Amino acid sequence: MVSYVIRRVLLGLFTVLLVLLLLHLLTTLAIQLNGNPALAFFGDHVPTASQLHAVEVRYGLGDSCYQQPGNPCLGPFWHRLSEYAHGDFGTDLEGRPLTDLLAQALPNTLRLFVIVTITWLIIGMLLGSVAARFRGRPIDHSIRLTSVLIDAFPVFVMLVVYRFIFTVPLTTWARRTFGSDSIPALLFKPSYSEEHPWLTLIIPGLLLGLTGCAPFLRLVRAAQLENYNAEHVRTARSKGLSNAHVTAYHIVRNSSVPVVTAVGFVFADALSGAVITEGVMNIRGMGNLLWQSVQKSDVSVVVGIVTILSVVTIGVMLLVDLAYAALDPRIRLD
Amino acid sequence: MKRGLAVSAALAMLATAACSSNSGSTSEDGGSGDTAKTIHLALGQDVDTLLPMDSSVGDNIGVLDVVFDGLVRYDAKTGKPYNYVAQSIQTKDNLVWTIKIKDGLTFSNGEPVDAASFARSWNYSAYGPNAMANNYYFKRIKGYDAMQGETDDDGNVTVKPKAKSLSGLKVIDPQTLQVTLTAPFAGFSIMLGYTGFYPAAKACIADIKACTKKPIGNGPFVIDNWNQGTELTASKRKDYKLSETPNYDKIDWKEYAGSSSWPDFQAGDLDLGAPPPEQWQQANSDPDLSSRKVTKETADLTYLGFPLYKKGPWDSIDFRKAISMAIDRQKVINAVIPGQSVPATSWVAPNIPGGKAGTCQWCTFNPTAAKAALAKAGGWPAGQTLNIYLGKDDTSEAYFKAIGDQITLNLGIKYKLIPSEDFFAERSARKFDGAFRNNWFPDYPLNENFLAEVYASGDPKNGNTNFGYYDAAFEKAIKAGDDAPDIDTAITKYAQAEQVLAKDFPTIPLDYSNSVTFYSDRVDNVAINPFSGATELRLLKYVG
Repeated sequence: MVSYVIRRVLLGLFTVLLVLLLLHLLTTLAIQLNGNPALAFFGDHVPTASQLHAVEVRYGLGDSCYQQPGNPCLGPFWHRLSEYAHGDFGTDLEGRPLTDLLAQALPNTLRLFVIVTITWLIIGMLLGSVAARFRGRPIDHSIRLTSVLIDAFPVFVMLVVYRFIFTVPLTTWARRTFGSDSIPALLFKPSYSEEHPWLTLIIPGLLLGLTGCAPFLRLVRAAQLENYNAEHVRTARSKGLSNAHVTAYHIVRNSSVPVVTAVGFVFADALSGAVITEGVMNIRGMGNLLWQSVQKSDVSVVVGIVTILSVVTIGVMLLVDLAYAALDPRIRLD
Repeated sequence: MKRGLAVSAALAMLATAACSSNSGSTSEDGGSGDTAKTIHLALGQDVDTLLPMDSSVGDNIGVLDVVFDGLVRYDAKTGKPYNYVAQSIQTKDNLVWTIKIKDGLTFSNGEPVDAASFARSWNYSAYGPNAMANNYYFKRIKGYDAMQGETDDDGNVTVKPKAKSLSGLKVIDPQTLQVTLTAPFAGFSIMLGYTGFYPAAKACIADIKACTKKPIGNGPFVIDNWNQGTELTASKRKDYKLSETPNYDKIDWKEYAGSSSWPDFQAGDLDLGAPPPEQWQQANSDPDLSSRKVTKETADLTYLGFPLYKKGPWDSIDFRKAISMAIDRQKVINAVIPGQSVPATSWVAPNIPGGKAGTCQWCTFNPTAAKAALAKAGGWPAGQTLNIYLGKDDTSEAYFKAIGDQITLNLGIKYKLIPSEDFFAERSARKFDGAFRNNWFPDYPLNENFLAEVYASGDPKNGNTNFGYYDAAFEKAIKAGDDAPDIDTAITKYAQAEQVLAKDFPTIPLDYSNSVTFYSDRVDNVAINPFSGATELRLLKYVG
């Protein structure tokens, strides 16, 4: 078990290194081919060579390799790696440390994830289990139909429709009915508000969670159905165990392995969903920060955030693998 | 078990958030008629600095307009400058300018606003290696070149800057600043109201990073806090001595990505707003919303340029006339950006001192004359496509598609749009072999800025960088304006340079954009600055 974890962590580190290298090469190539981000600084004005150079230095693009297409710019890459190793994650174009930016953005994304996860667990597990329990009955059909409907609406469509069509009348109504600082009024606020970080995140989180829970729901149903007809369940029932006990200990637990795998994938999906959700709902989170930095060609922030996101994703995948062993005693991690 | 814990913990957090929010917001929120009169505004999330020397986009200029006072300010109606922090600005020869600064003014940290504070700020901007966005504004002041380094073609520094301050700036006494320019320029005093010319406190230069986030200003408002990316708050200074200060006490800017603040405005959380393009029609047809709307034509010009540096149809004036007269500008605007622009008929915006509508005689739609002009130019080479280059931007792609359609419809010339991220670099490198989009937003309200900055080069052989345009008569008229004894004469001389453009017809003016602002019923007296297109925050009234 311990050696397995060590091996996985080492592999994870290697993956992160590869991600870093790939990102570095892509951003470098983008700068070389796409033109100098420093030029955009001047807009319609024509800068002199020395003005341009001063801005390049300010943007961290002073190395002449950025002007030579095809040059992998390994010097700056090595420089960044050694800074990371010393715990220095660099600054954005305005000189603010990346760690400060993260301290501001990370809590919001984590809040969003808490709400998303709760939505998955409640809606996905519950509806999936209900559908499996009442297989073939009208309730099963309607749950499955709902999941297909949810799939048919991409998350950004749902969010844009919600924000631009529903929030304004809903907030106006809630404010008139319950007062402007009431919970319903804050719940339907069109944008995230710093003063009410949880309340204004519930609906965006719910919508993002809803899109993720459709495949989740179907997986739960399929995995549980398999177990309903399994021999160990029949044996448990014939021993006279109660229906609730059989469902909780013999069906739900045994059908959790594929479900946990799905959590890993859906989590990665939710990361990309967070970029959209945070963008549409004006939430200052990791996705929003990433989006802004890409637009500003702020390379060190982009690389920093993507690195952190990949570390998190690799960590979640590892946790998922460890959870297998806990859920299914037959699985040994050696 | 663990799952249960997580859920209940989350619910507990929700409950506390709800409780704290109920108790916290009553005293702060200005929306519901509390003691502190607060106005709520939107701010672009891409604003990354509040340092005047480095602020050059609409949004941070708007914030700094209430945090700083310039030597001059501009009239909201006419755009004409008047002395504000300056007691007087005098010159005999347009070369040496003496600026007297009003006595007793202070920064919000108590430091005096004196001649040295202006010199400090200007020297910081002008020093090349600081890479400030407003660096180039100081190129007219003597000693600017010595503060820039030199680099070779590979971007390596060959010569380091020789000086750290402008030799043309001299502090005569605490309240008098003498400025010597490299060449006479009658419009110098007009530039002085721009953000880049605001003063800087000693404490600001000593800690630039802190000043970027929390500038030390001399204006009626002081920045309380900037939680960058989410919110910026400012409150009124109690010790402010000059007259132009609004009737409200606090400003609360909430940051948004792009134009996404509209639903918040509709819900009543913001006092000023503008709809995104897809909600434009709906907002304008809503009687309640449109009763609270102000529209003003701005100085933001979009025009079509040609590679005059290349042979081909481009250097034929009749060809350019044909293209210009083939475009029904109003129709294009109505189709793509209804209500957000007006057709341009001049190279200088009509609402800028010296600007006049109608200087371009070939800017009116006339398909018959266009066809005749094309025939006179020798026609368009059969089978060839007209390339139209532009930057990557959805709205301008839609706009130039409509322009291209007009050219095809009325002249039978097929076109191809070539949007590119690399547009600016390619334009400076003169890589275009077709028409290309250009935009000009003036740096200060004077007709000269639309002309000299865009078309003058002093290089008869190659012409100016972007277009390859050169006309000795144009350069002469600009020079005559620079040397003029007073600003009114200068404006007339510069206007003659525009006449030269009208004759040479190097570029085709397309439109001036409108600034449109909707406002809530909590505010009144909404005026838009004709020059910047921003709402005049100092004139805005809070009515509760």
